[in-house]
Amino acid sequence: MRARWRHSYLDGYATPRLAKLAPNLVAACFPLMKLLPARFMLDRAEARGELMPGGHIVETTSGTFGLALALLAAVRGYRLSLVSADTLLDASLQRRLVALGARIEIVPDADKTGAQRARLARLEAIRSGHPEAWWPQQYDNPDNPRAYARLAELLVRTLGAVDCLVGPVGSGGSMCGTSAFLREVFPAMRTVAADTHRSVLFGHAAGSRLLRGLGNSLVPQNVDHSAFDEVHWVGGLQAFAATRRLHREHGIFAGPTSGAAVLVASWHARQHPDQLTVVILPDEGHRYQDTVHNDDWLLALPGWPAVEAAGPLELQHLAPLGEATWTCIAWQRRSLDAARRDFGDGLAPDALT
Amino acid sequence: MTNTRDGRRPGSNEGRLRVGTGRASAHHGELLQGVFEGADGRLHRGLITLPCPVFTSTATFWPRLGSGITTRPAGRDKASRAATLTLERLSLPQIGGELTIESTVPMGHGYGSSTADVVAAIRATAAAARVTLRQETVAALAVAAETASDPLAYEGLPVLFAQREGLLLELLGPAFPPLIIVGCNVAPDQPVDTLLTSPARYGSDEIETFRVLSGLARHAVAAGDARLLASVATASACISQRHLPKPHFDKLSDLARGTGACGLQVAHSGTLIGLLFDGAESHARRRAAEAASHLAAHGLLSVITYELGVEGTP
Repeated sequence: MRARWRHSYLDGYATPRLAKLAPNLVAACFPLMKLLPARFMLDRAEARGELMPGGHIVETTSGTFGLALALLAAVRGYRLSLVSADTLLDASLQRRLVALGARIEIVPDADKTGAQRARLARLEAIRSGHPEAWWPQQYDNPDNPRAYARLAELLVRTLGAVDCLVGPVGSGGSMCGTSAFLREVFPAMRTVAADTHRSVLFGHAAGSRLLRGLGNSLVPQNVDHSAFDEVHWVGGLQAFAATRRLHREHGIFAGPTSGAAVLVASWHARQHPDQLTVVILPDEGHRYQDTVHNDDWLLALPGWPAVEAAGPLELQHLAPLGEATWTCIAWQRRSLDAARRDFGDGLAPDALT
Repeated sequence: MTNTRDGRRPGSNEGRLRVGTGRASAHHGELLQGVFEGADGRLHRGLITLPCPVFTSTATFWPRLGSGITTRPAGRDKASRAATLTLERLSLPQIGGELTIESTVPMGHGYGSSTADVVAAIRATAAAARVTLRQETVAALAVAAETASDPLAYEGLPVLFAQREGLLLELLGPAFPPLIIVGCNVAPDQPVDTLLTSPARYGSDEIETFRVLSGLARHAVAAGDARLLASVATASACISQRHLPKPHFDKLSDLARGTGACGLQVAHSGTLIGLLFDGAESHARRRAAEAASHLAAHGLLSVITYELGVEGTP
């Protein structure tokens, strides 16, 4: 009983508030969604004996998964080493992680792609020096998607049938997990990904990305491409505008990945007025006070203010476009290989450049 | 002892004993069966039973002084044990008697014949002692009498029940949504002994899926939505098919789709499959009748059609 009470404050981070954005659109707004898989992975590792009391956790992170681990490590008494990149971790989050007792290692990210490979190399170096350390492996650990049965449970308990699920994709855990569990009862449910240009998740070639917190520079095992009916690539400027609009119109102070997801979900809900769309909003806006939620920072961006797109440009080819654009492809539950074959090689066709 | 939590009247004694009668309805297998997290944070094996008032068991208890219970028909050991446990619970160990079971519940196919006898016996024994027992007490006595027990003590209420512990995990709502059930026995020559069937060993994904299924069952009952409840039953039946496969399952799945049923359910330790029709739908009775004649035409036996909470005359 004592343990349950001790963890109840953190439980709130992993429990979304459900907000109606339109008659047929519900947002699941998480204070810190990553706490849900982090807690589940830790619980399972403890139960399997992979993580002993007072043990050492190591992970590479772009931010919020690291924060979730740091909160849990602090409360449960584990040592924590995190590897991140200088483009990913802002100073105030880094201070918070250190205050929670985490040890942080930063690798340089000159080409602004997230330095995923350099981070993994650094992580391997730490692991070889600490072979007893437990690595959650959020990108490949099946307990990551499995954790989202709790979100699916909350949605069906509250809303009943869900016709369409929209959300940002990074590790694949939240979207592929929630979608798989919901499809146990609603096999026809549509699953729609929000990604960004030059993330490799859905077949773009890697490149510099303005929008962080979704997308990836490698393809995690937890991304099940065949789960998705539709994939959207939201440019950073469109995502930022949508994030600010979400705050202004609904009072929802969220991060830019949430803005990208709401942009796609609102459009989808307008296209399907007789269906219930649910959109996942993974975190709050506090981390972005000095950036996306700061007018001066936005005005310094080339191309800002962007003309807000009324809808996506529907493509027949995988084509990374500019940060002011929003594109989509009818993915139709293809594998990544099938999509590459059917939609081209990720280079922009001449007609679109 | 002055404990009255179970409804026992202080001061009751054998001097006031009389002939007691108790009754219990059968069920038609489960709408959902799996493992579920309880309020204690632990996982419990649990189920939601689909009531089937078509069949009933009636027990009559003739008390007499002196221990030992004989049953008619002879050899109803679980019912006899249930009566003994009830007398012990009522602090009447010096009482024995004769227990008569008259049951219309077919045995060994998943209708819960044994639990119906046990619950009827507990109620008859309590009635003989002029005592009213709480539903949870009846459920706990039933589990004690037969190791694993169905929640027939809850008289048709939609409950998520831990059948091996006799524990109510969740009361889902006041009543089931309106359902028309067309049931059949897919292997009438292969009766199942519930206690000899080893419990399913569920995988991690299945255990997490059960959260979603119980959550949706809760919503479906609260909203009176038969279609959603049938979606839960169908998903649960598909999981059951991986552990205790039933013959004709695919054929009946196709038939469910073809006849406009909104889902199907199975007796997880039995041989029953039921097609579920939304009782709130205008043509549900006609569709159910069509499905029943299809089942009979396929040579399936023990085809029954019954209604649960549907208003109007069948």
